[in-house]
Amino acid sequence: MTYRRYELLKDLAPIMVDNALVVSNIGFPSQELYEIQDSPKNFYMLGSMGLSSSIGLGIAQTTDQPVISIDGDGSVLMNLGTLATIGNYGTKNYILLLVDNGAYGSTGDQPTHTSGRTDLAGIARAAGIDSVHVTQDAGAKAVLEQCMQTAGPHVIVAKVAPGSPKLNPIPMDPGFIRDRFMQSIK
Amino acid sequence: MNNVSQELLNELKTNGADYFSTVPCKLLGDLINLLAEDKSVIYTPAAREEEGLGLCAGAFLGGKTPVIAMQNTGVGTIITSLFSLGLFYNLPITMIVSHRGTPGEKIGTQVPMSNATKPILDTVGVPYFAFSDPADVKKVGRLVQHAQVAQRPVAALLDFDFWGKG
Repeated sequence: MTYRRYELLKDLAPIMVDNALVVSNIGFPSQELYEIQDSPKNFYMLGSMGLSSSIGLGIAQTTDQPVISIDGDGSVLMNLGTLATIGNYGTKNYILLLVDNGAYGSTGDQPTHTSGRTDLAGIARAAGIDSVHVTQDAGAKAVLEQCMQTAGPHVIVAKVAPGSPKLNPIPMDPGFIRDRFMQSIK
Repeated sequence: MNNVSQELLNELKTNGADYFSTVPCKLLGDLINLLAEDKSVIYTPAAREEEGLGLCAGAFLGGKTPVIAMQNTGVGTIITSLFSLGLFYNLPITMIVSHRGTPGEKIGTQVPMSNATKPILDTVGVPYFAFSDPADVKKVGRLVQHAQVAQRPVAALLDFDFWGKG
């Protein structure tokens, strides 16, 4: 694998940010998305590790706009029940982008179980989600474009290498992130 | 079917609630069955309380007025998400909490967490209001409005007597 999450998000941001509401995961993923392409339609989840998928699904249930949750292997492993909920209550406009780098990136790339025997796509399928895709590096772009044109819920397990550039925390107040996002939906 | 669950659902909806997530408790059984049949609200059962809080957070961001119904044992598992999501982003989420381990309880293991529930909510900074009388159902419904005013999660603690099972 030649991509890290940063290169993946750089490929996908123009598709996501212009055309969807995006919930981005705690830590480096949010910092990277902010640096690559900030938008009022990005909700930066600065805490509550594991809940990006749940927040995104809650939003998707209230709107016809496409909603993408950016989640990670380590964080979805903290909230595996979410895949069963998406399998049963996921909406057509909902996409879960699982960036799977096999590591807890924000805490120093300690390995997650997906770097061992655990297969997130298999778990997602067994949880009742029909549209599950596994990509590597640049392959995610075409799959995301296709998912945005078809009825979901979709799960994309985007495999990349661990590692992250050094970026700064997002210089925005949580109330500002919230209000800006809510106004952008109206 | 016990009337207090129907009245509670009506009062929550009258006060604006239109999105519900639940994690089961035997005291919440009737409410959960009613929600599963109610086409006038969005209803999503959650596998765990943090997940339900996340769903409610998303629903609020999307313009809905969310309620999570859960057992008080969930107050123990949900603490970090209350801090870093509910309180950090000032999200008005009404928490309908069945208070197990109160008089009427038959399972001893429910008692320790029962005693800790109020101190935990105090420590986290979630306002809570305890009710023991089904006649107070209108007051419970008003917490949906109070969460909007308080701009944070607000909890109702509802014991066996409230549910008519004391």
